[in-house]
Amino acid sequence: MSSRISRIGIGGPVGCGKSMLIERVVPLLAKKNYRVCIISNDVISKEDADRMRQNLATSQGLLPENLVIGLATGGCPHTAIREDPSINLAVIEEIESKYNDLDLIIIESGGDNITTTFSPALADYFIYIVDVSGGDKYPRKRGLGIETSDLLVINKIDLAKMVDADLDVMERDAKIVRKNKPHVLVNCKTDQGIEQVTEHIIHDVLFDEPPKKLVSGVKN
Amino acid sequence: MNTDFSDLNIMQMSDSFFPIGLYTMSNGLETLFDEKLVQTTDQIEEFISTIITQQIGPADCVALSNAYDFAVSKNIEKIIYCDKMLYSMKLVKEPRDAMCRSGSQMIKCVKSFLNDNLINLYYDAIHESNSPATHPVVTGVCSSALGVKKDSAVTMMLYGFSVSTIGAALRLGIIDHIQSQQILHRLKPRITQCVKQYLAISIENMWQFAPEYDIIQMKHEQKFSKMFIT
Repeated sequence: MSSRISRIGIGGPVGCGKSMLIERVVPLLAKKNYRVCIISNDVISKEDADRMRQNLATSQGLLPENLVIGLATGGCPHTAIREDPSINLAVIEEIESKYNDLDLIIIESGGDNITTTFSPALADYFIYIVDVSGGDKYPRKRGLGIETSDLLVINKIDLAKMVDADLDVMERDAKIVRKNKPHVLVNCKTDQGIEQVTEHIIHDVLFDEPPKKLVSGVKN
Repeated sequence: MNTDFSDLNIMQMSDSFFPIGLYTMSNGLETLFDEKLVQTTDQIEEFISTIITQQIGPADCVALSNAYDFAVSKNIEKIIYCDKMLYSMKLVKEPRDAMCRSGSQMIKCVKSFLNDNLINLYYDAIHESNSPATHPVVTGVCSSALGVKKDSAVTMMLYGFSVSTIGAALRLGIIDHIQSQQILHRLKPRITQCVKQYLAISIENMWQFAPEYDIIQMKHEQKFSKMFIT
């Protein structure tokens, strides 16, 4: 019998940087000896999964190639993570039965709208990511993803000046709308803010527990 | 108070709201559409009808029907036998995996609201990797436990297959929402005839022959860009 592995859901609009966030966070988790699996839902291809596999598994050797899994969602990204997450759950159960020494499973949603949420049966912790190029109105416009996520990530902050987005306004509105639940400003290109996101995961999801690998002496 | 909920159980299990992931499957239609081999409502209807005739009817329906009978007689060994037989007849990995994922999620869901000894036994066999959880066999066992008649259970599965394929056609932009219901309506005689034809066939006489369809499914496995799991 297998036990449940902690799960994070990452959702956000198309092109906001969901995959890039994973590509930046996983090396930091790996450096601390946490072992992860990535399930990437995509509405049209497995391109994101292929890129993450190539970067994180093949090139960097941070996880086995078969632990980066791409799933097609029948064109319904929010259905696959909320109304009917059965295909994701089936894959997770297969992973849990084979790799019970993993510390974390990261589930990336296909690009979606601001009402995205994860089924509580699928994810224990929900990171919603937006980028500044949609304008600084984004947090103020609300939406379930922005309001209810456990952590809001605002990405591509280096572009703020170019699109006249005021980061102070975004932060102010995020605090109001989210009732002071945490948010992090991030630039995935330079790793700015990535350490903070990683610390949130270790503290809020893994409860500062040491990696299973260190506890049990399991080797890669 | 009326405690016969079999009609409601049929509606619950056949609803697209029932969480077994059928909306992720085009059952090969996506490949045919990409290769411009299916572009009209008639072709979609013919595609579904052919798959029912050559594969879903003689294999899936027969497996469901036999599993249902063995569920009635509480014969877990024979249910597992049906499960393994059908699994071995599915030649292409992608649809085979999808079929078992749907099945495993169906029994998990039914087990969550129904306390039934046979469901628990079968679930344990699946969980311990002793039975593959093919969707038709799980449907047979769950239908029996929920008091759904055997012919209704077979009809329900054929309807689910048809709806998931037509739904894929709709999302691929081949047809509109009215045409989708017209196709479904025109398939009713084929579905009804199939139920009648395969309701009493033994598991040993199960067959399927759809080589072209298997090749289509294999090609789908290799596609770089796709919306659907199958």
